[in-house]
Amino acid sequence: MSIGEMTPKERMMAALSGKEMDRLIVSPLILNWASRTTGIKVGEFNRNGEKMGNAHIACFKKYRHDVVYIFTTTSTLAEAMGTKMYFPDDDAPQVETPFIQSREDLKKLKPLDPEKDGRLPVYLEAAKRCVDAIGDEVFILPVIGAPFTTSAALRGTDTFIRELYTDPEMVHTLMRATTDAAKVSIDAFVKIGTVPITVEPVATGSMIRDKHFREFVLPYLKEIYAHISSYSLPGALHICGKTKRVIKAMSESGAAILSIDDIDLLDAKELVGDKVCLMGNVSPADGFFKGTPEIIREMVKDCVAKAYDSPAGYIIASGCEVPLMTPHENMIAFLEAGREFVRLPIDKSKLESEVKVHIHRTSSEACVH
Amino acid sequence: MERESSVILNDLARAVIEMDTDRARAVAAEVIRLKIDPYMAIMEGLAKGMDKVNELYEAEEYFVPELLVCADAMYAGIEVLRAHMPKEDPYSKKKIVIGVMKGDTHDIGKNLVKIMLDNAGFEMHDMGRDVSYAKFVDTAGEIKADVVCLSTLMTTTMDGMQVVIEDLKRAGINSKVLIGGGPISPSFAKNIGADGYAKNAAEAVKVVKGVLQGIPLSSVLIKDKRELVSIERSRGGTR
Repeated sequence: MSIGEMTPKERMMAALSGKEMDRLIVSPLILNWASRTTGIKVGEFNRNGEKMGNAHIACFKKYRHDVVYIFTTTSTLAEAMGTKMYFPDDDAPQVETPFIQSREDLKKLKPLDPEKDGRLPVYLEAAKRCVDAIGDEVFILPVIGAPFTTSAALRGTDTFIRELYTDPEMVHTLMRATTDAAKVSIDAFVKIGTVPITVEPVATGSMIRDKHFREFVLPYLKEIYAHISSYSLPGALHICGKTKRVIKAMSESGAAILSIDDIDLLDAKELVGDKVCLMGNVSPADGFFKGTPEIIREMVKDCVAKAYDSPAGYIIASGCEVPLMTPHENMIAFLEAGREFVRLPIDKSKLESEVKVHIHRTSSEACVH
Repeated sequence: MERESSVILNDLARAVIEMDTDRARAVAAEVIRLKIDPYMAIMEGLAKGMDKVNELYEAEEYFVPELLVCADAMYAGIEVLRAHMPKEDPYSKKKIVIGVMKGDTHDIGKNLVKIMLDNAGFEMHDMGRDVSYAKFVDTAGEIKADVVCLSTLMTTTMDGMQVVIEDLKRAGINSKVLIGGGPISPSFAKNIGADGYAKNAAEAVKVVKGVLQGIPLSSVLIKDKRELVSIERSRGGTR
């Protein structure tokens, strides 16, 4: 017998404590897209905590998705540390001038003050507003750039990843600084009652090899998740792009949830499903943005069929950020299909495909906004 | 004892593949000392090494850091050789505008194509990444570009390529347009009216030369199905 409808927060608590749930979690990565709900431009959304918060609150009231994420770019932490960003009028900001241009510049690095530095105050305010307005119904998850991604934005991605070969000491110096900064910002977000999670797209499997992941990324991720665990909170690690080659290492980071993008969920389940909860991976571009409600329904079904029985749990989600141009109908299609297929107990007969839809994936690289 | 030129060319390729910048420079200096044709040293040595690197990358044995450091080694060798190359070559007066589409900041693929075309003697005008449609069109018009190369790694920005092609036509600019990047397929190139498509940096040089000689897109395209499969599987190059 199934139990009655829970709030997203009750559902998450049940999932975390292994208690009975009405259904699995359905969690599209609604980030900058939230700005569409209140009709504001991304350039306004990401520089004004009140507007960002209000957009997420309105978006949650409209769609009732299971998790509210606070995010605009993977480079926010690097920005707070000194990297200069370029702000398009209606798109996510991008790195304009990396802060660390030379070894000399390392001296300019200061301990992070999340209350003051960069746009972290904007995120803190937005997150706080969400906690106050909807925090009794849903968990608020600010998304923090993990050390490798933050270091890349601090140094310039091309230069930084070259230095894996040409200046490994520089890489470790930056990783140390960005890990410390990430921990300080985690503290600030925990303090206001949110659950910070981390994104590490620059360490995706099509970017770097497993050996480099283990040498330069994993030790610092372990430190981050140990820190998050010290608050008795679960760690979540998102890496988009192709992750098959690094997913084992990802599962050793101490994160309880891996949010993944371009990898077959059957492979992910087989490789690490017994250790970590899997989250993913309806294609943002081919599904949410360019797909039709019918295609999205088939994509959701395909994901659920592959991963609902993953031993350490499964969350149906988009593989990466929901694209800005995603139409409302596609979001509804995702949420409705998700909620239907993951209702517990899972109705396996629903997961058989009546129509053979060829699910085509074109985007394969990580997206670093 | 002087070494055979074939051994030296092979050495240049190996220096690139093994990411050994110092070695690439030293062997390039040896090329000059032995009066081996520097152009041949680039094409049959350094660039050949880079072809192999691209293969290793497609086979997922090399990744982006390797790709970048190998390109650095190749470039270091080229710099030594360039000073000794005859200035005039058949493509030096041809101008190419290159950039990554608006909304996309992945530019390693574009950079590699630029390096290859630069090596081949073209005059390159690099617009960088996240380039607006208007900037492509304005620059092509301003410098009277022979070719415009558009790159993207994202499905969300590929449709903009058609906009650029149409805007170029509308502005009366006759530049040929070459497109490439992860999600791009030859049939997409054909559908939006591009003059050429290249699946990687090494191929881009051949395609640009072909396009400038007036060879139609259809014959620069896929020769067999295998290539299609590799495009499907290709990681698209880069960010």
